[in-house]
Amino acid sequence: MILTKRFFAEAGLIAGLSVVLGLFSHVPLIRQFLRGGLSPGLISTETGPGIILITLAEAEDLFAGGQGVFIDARSRKDFSTGHIPAAKNVPFEEAKGKAIREVAAGIPRGKAVVIYCSGKECPTGLALAVLLRDQGLDEVRVFMGGWDEWIAAGLPAERGNDQE
Amino acid sequence: MIRNKHVLCAFRLIIGGLFIYAGVIKIADPLGFARDIQNYRILPPAACLFIALALPWFEALSGVFLIVGIFKRTNAWLLSFLLAGFIVLVIITMARGLDVDCGCFGSLSRKADGRLILEDALMLYMSLQIAGQRRPLQ
Repeated sequence: MILTKRFFAEAGLIAGLSVVLGLFSHVPLIRQFLRGGLSPGLISTETGPGIILITLAEAEDLFAGGQGVFIDARSRKDFSTGHIPAAKNVPFEEAKGKAIREVAAGIPRGKAVVIYCSGKECPTGLALAVLLRDQGLDEVRVFMGGWDEWIAAGLPAERGNDQE
Repeated sequence: MIRNKHVLCAFRLIIGGLFIYAGVIKIADPLGFARDIQNYRILPPAACLFIALALPWFEALSGVFLIVGIFKRTNAWLLSFLLAGFIVLVIITMARGLDVDCGCFGSLSRKADGRLILEDALMLYMSLQIAGQRRPLQ
C-alpha cells in the first residue's frame, strides 16, 4: 500500500522543500507580481517597452489606411479558416531562433506591425510581440481583441493560406 | 512487473534525468513557464506563477532523489501521479480544442498533442515499475 504515513512524510518533505526553494529563489519576481507589475498575460513590465497595446478601432484604422503589417500568431489551421486580409501567419510555436529572425527581416521598415491572436485571453500575440521587439523592431503593436473581436465587428476577412 | 535490477536502474536514470532536465530548464525561466501554464486557461495568474515557481524544483528534486536513491519509491509514486496528471491535462486540452505548447521543457516545448500523451504514458510505465518494486515502503 502506497498511502502510508512514511509516504506522506516523504512526499510532504519534497513538496515543502520545492515550495520553499521555488519562492526563495525568485523573491524579486514575486514582489513584482504582488505590485501588479506582471500583467497582462504575465508579461513582465521589463519586457513592455516598445510594445503598444491597441484597440479594435486603432487596428481598423491601420488596416483601412494600409499602414499596418498584420501578423497572425495563431496556428496554420486557425489561420486558414479565416484571418485579417493580407495578414502574415507566424504561428507562435514556430517563431523560434532563425525563423523569428527571418520574420523580423521580412517586415518592411516604416510600417506599423500589428500582431494578433485568437482573442483577449490568448497570450501568444503579446509573446510574439516581445520576440519581434527583441529582434530590433520598434513600436510593435498588439491588437488585444484579436481575431474574435475583429470578426465579431463584421470587418473584412479572408480564408486560406495564401499570403501576400 | 519488471524485476530485473539493471532495467529498473536504467528506468531510474531515464526518468530521473528527464525530470532534472525539465526542472532545471524551467527554474531558469519561471515567467516563460508561468505563461505556458496560463496558456492552458485553467488557473488564474497567481496560481500559474506559484506552480511555475514550485513545480520545476519539485521535478528537479524528485529526479535527483530518484537517481541518488533517496525516498526512491515515494519519488517514483509522486512522479507517476504527476505524469498521470499531465496526461489528463493534455487530453482535456485537446478536447477543448486549444492549440498550446505543452510547457514540458521550457522553450524547447512542443505542442500538447497525442504524441505527447504516448511519451508521458511510456514515462508513467517506467515510473510505475520503479514505484512497484517488491520491497515494501514501510
